Amino acid sequence: MVERLNDLYEKFKAKFEGVNGECYRVAKIEEIGNLAVKILANKGAKTIALYESPLSQAAKLKEKLCSAGFEVHTDNLFAASSQDDVGITEVNWGIAELGSMVQIAPEVDNRLCSTLVPIHLALLRTKSIVADVDEIMEILDNLPQIPGFVGFITGPSRSSDIERILEIGVHGPEQVILILVDE
Amino acid sequence: MANTQLKKEISEALQNNVLRGALERFSRLYVIAREKAYEGYDFEDLRNNIQRVKSYAADHIDEMIDLFEKNAKARGAKVFRAANGKEANDYVRRIAKENNVKKVVKSKSMASEEILMNEALREDGLEVQETDLGEFIIAIEGKHPSHMVFPAIHLTKEQVADLFTGYTKKKNDPVISKLVKTARSVMRKKFLEADMGISGANIAVAETGTLFTFTNEGNARLTSTIPRVHVYIVGIEKIVPKFKDATYIMKALPRNGTAQNITTYVSLYTGATEAYLEDGTKGEKEFHIVILDNGRRKILQDEKFRQIFNCIRCGGCINVCPAFQLVGGHVYGGHAYTGGIGTILTAFLTSEETANQVQNLCLQCGSCTEVCAGKLNIPEMILELRNRHGAKTGLPFTQKFALDVVSNRRLFHSLLRIASVAQKPFTKGQPVIRHLPMFLSGLTEGRSLPAIAKTPFRDIFPTIKQDVPNPKGTVAFYAGCLVDFVYPRIGEGVVSALNEVGYKVVFPEKQSCCGAPASYMGDKENAVKSAILNIEALEAEKVDYIVSACPTCTHGLLDYQKLLEDKPEMLKRAKVLAEKLYDFPKLITMLGGLKDKGDGIPLKVTYHDSCHLRRTMGVYKEQRALLAGTSGIELIEMKESDRCCGFAGSYSIKFPEISVPILQRKIQNILETGAEVVALDCPGCLMQITGGLDQINSKIKVKHTAELLLDKRKK
Repeated sequence: MVERLNDLYEKFKAKFEGVNGECYRVAKIEEIGNLAVKILANKGAKTIALYESPLSQAAKLKEKLCSAGFEVHTDNLFAASSQDDVGITEVNWGIAELGSMVQIAPEVDNRLCSTLVPIHLALLRTKSIVADVDEIMEILDNLPQIPGFVGFITGPSRSSDIERILEIGVHGPEQVILILVDE
Repeated sequence: MANTQLKKEISEALQNNVLRGALERFSRLYVIAREKAYEGYDFEDLRNNIQRVKSYAADHIDEMIDLFEKNAKARGAKVFRAANGKEANDYVRRIAKENNVKKVVKSKSMASEEILMNEALREDGLEVQETDLGEFIIAIEGKHPSHMVFPAIHLTKEQVADLFTGYTKKKNDPVISKLVKTARSVMRKKFLEADMGISGANIAVAETGTLFTFTNEGNARLTSTIPRVHVYIVGIEKIVPKFKDATYIMKALPRNGTAQNITTYVSLYTGATEAYLEDGTKGEKEFHIVILDNGRRKILQDEKFRQIFNCIRCGGCINVCPAFQLVGGHVYGGHAYTGGIGTILTAFLTSEETANQVQNLCLQCGSCTEVCAGKLNIPEMILELRNRHGAKTGLPFTQKFALDVVSNRRLFHSLLRIASVAQKPFTKGQPVIRHLPMFLSGLTEGRSLPAIAKTPFRDIFPTIKQDVPNPKGTVAFYAGCLVDFVYPRIGEGVVSALNEVGYKVVFPEKQSCCGAPASYMGDKENAVKSAILNIEALEAEKVDYIVSACPTCTHGLLDYQKLLEDKPEMLKRAKVLAEKLYDFPKLITMLGGLKDKGDGIPLKVTYHDSCHLRRTMGVYKEQRALLAGTSGIELIEMKESDRCCGFAGSYSIKFPEISVPILQRKIQNILETGAEVVALDCPGCLMQITGGLDQINSKIKVKHTAELLLDKRKK
């Protein structure tokens, strides 16, 4: 069980980094806050649009980010996400085969905080990494109904529209960071 | 578009070095990257499944649309069925008016381009913004896409910088990362102010009412998240029955389109979700789905074309098309769809007239069929367009005259005999013709033509001594025009090899042109004439096998069954012929192969796969084994060995400007191997490649497998 989890994690991490994502892993929920502070401070970020989720609340993320000196918004997220440096959301699954994150996000703020911001920081439970596309489609298909919005996100936004040269960061986030938590 | 206009656009495209460079680089990278993306996947299995689920939806289209509508409505979507572009555009205009919309952002939607929706909305004074980077660039340029996936592939960063400078009234440097930033900031404002978003779908799921959109830039996510009114334009061919059916397309679309394992974003929308409304509060958005027909049902009613519904619009076919790689999308004339599949879509959805012109650009090489995610036979459909057009309007006089001559055996053969004498002023004692005068000069530009042989094979055949003491059977040899009148030595090789495996060869004298030239030029009448002539001449019923040394002819003879569908007696005979007909290397291998008795003299040989033999007939191992098994021959594989040489029958005459650069790439690949001989199995390719090598005074020889085997195995 643990072996399978580690195996999926290693595959996921390699693929995620292969599409220009940054991947971190912690054992306990309480470690998320300090790690997030460290990562975001290193990037020189100052303002954060936080879409609260079970993981962010359990990790007391808002409190920790605020006391570290970040300006954190959890309300009026349309305005916040269009100006802030960072958006934080929790995603539902990871796909090892592709390095993709999968979010169920019918709420507009959940989507804005993962799309409009230059840096998207996502939270995910390590045990929610699945092997491949077939597995995730099976899971979605077995839900009582398909959620209003399901988003597969694989790295930062990109384009090769000028001279076929790959450029990162077009309309969506320029950086995508994921913190996985084992607990 | 007149033909002269097409010629002019081809010439412009060929002079655009940016376009040619970008397309060529991409074509080389694509093949390798695509293969890597499919590692661990069974592509055949995947496309069989796509074909299965998409054709099921097509066969049950009314039920599918009803189901989709019911399920989408149950989730809060408003669904409108538009019979044509005008109905769709009028509906969207009405929605805009009712919701007090001023500003519209669009993410990529081919269907909306097909029906010129932007133009319609602008008539009402709406501000409409394309947000995909490439689409944004060409919108400023005022042009249509040059590629379905990379719409601005024809422009350099310098040109884009100039366009952006003009648009933003601020100096833009030609640095790609900075240009992308400019686009981001310009577009960001547009997104935040937009009242309506318009999106296109890649998949629509009947069972759940879900729409899938694949993008890399993130513009589609913003288009669908920010505006309070969201409209999806969905062609009826996008429907699959079940949610999990979408998985097959998810796997194939990015791998085939851009050789990615998955696009950055895959977004699934099911019904109306939450948005920020006009008053700043959050609530359910206005969510509309326009289901567009606009000629699509007409495709379904057409047996020859209904397979188009299996297309997932990945653009894989375009990525491997040798003609498209040279000229890009603008030449294809349609304002939405380009390349081979685009030609067919254009015929049904936008302009039949344009399609009738640009269908000529297809080489019939079949590369597209190998990568197609929906298993479409694009060349066959293009040929059908050509035939229908030919039947309706007739061919130009000179072409028709030539084909009439070819289908009249006596006349054609006597003309060829006369030509072998009349060509003397041009051959200058060489076996090739390097220059032709006046309007014929295009034929010899970048390529020399072969001279007609002094003695045709039909006159040589009776002099060949066939030493087969106890023949196992009889094989009738179908030589085809080129072997008979230009390369008779190939025929000698065929006879010798068959004798060696224990068969006697007969040469039915009344055989004539296989009819492929007429078929490929859309002249069905003359094709049928040739079919009957050869069926009667070959008398397949009386021999064990029929052998051909020209895969185009083999293909042509096999197609007699299609040409004679309405002539039951002849059809029966065509079937017998088809059952006994094989290409030279295939038949020799089937009959036990040849014993190694090569001369042992070292010879470096590389092999060129002809399109018809490799892709239509699936023969590529046999001839390599025959060659490699001959002592002395060292077989060296060239790059892109199965890429078309550009001959394609009359294509090289109609479009020498495209045919020659395709040939040059082949020549380059040959030169890189260091081989002394290029072996191949198609006299057409033989003519083309010999001509290309002769023009650069290369010493490399080109030989048909049968001829090379004969040379190396002479006692």
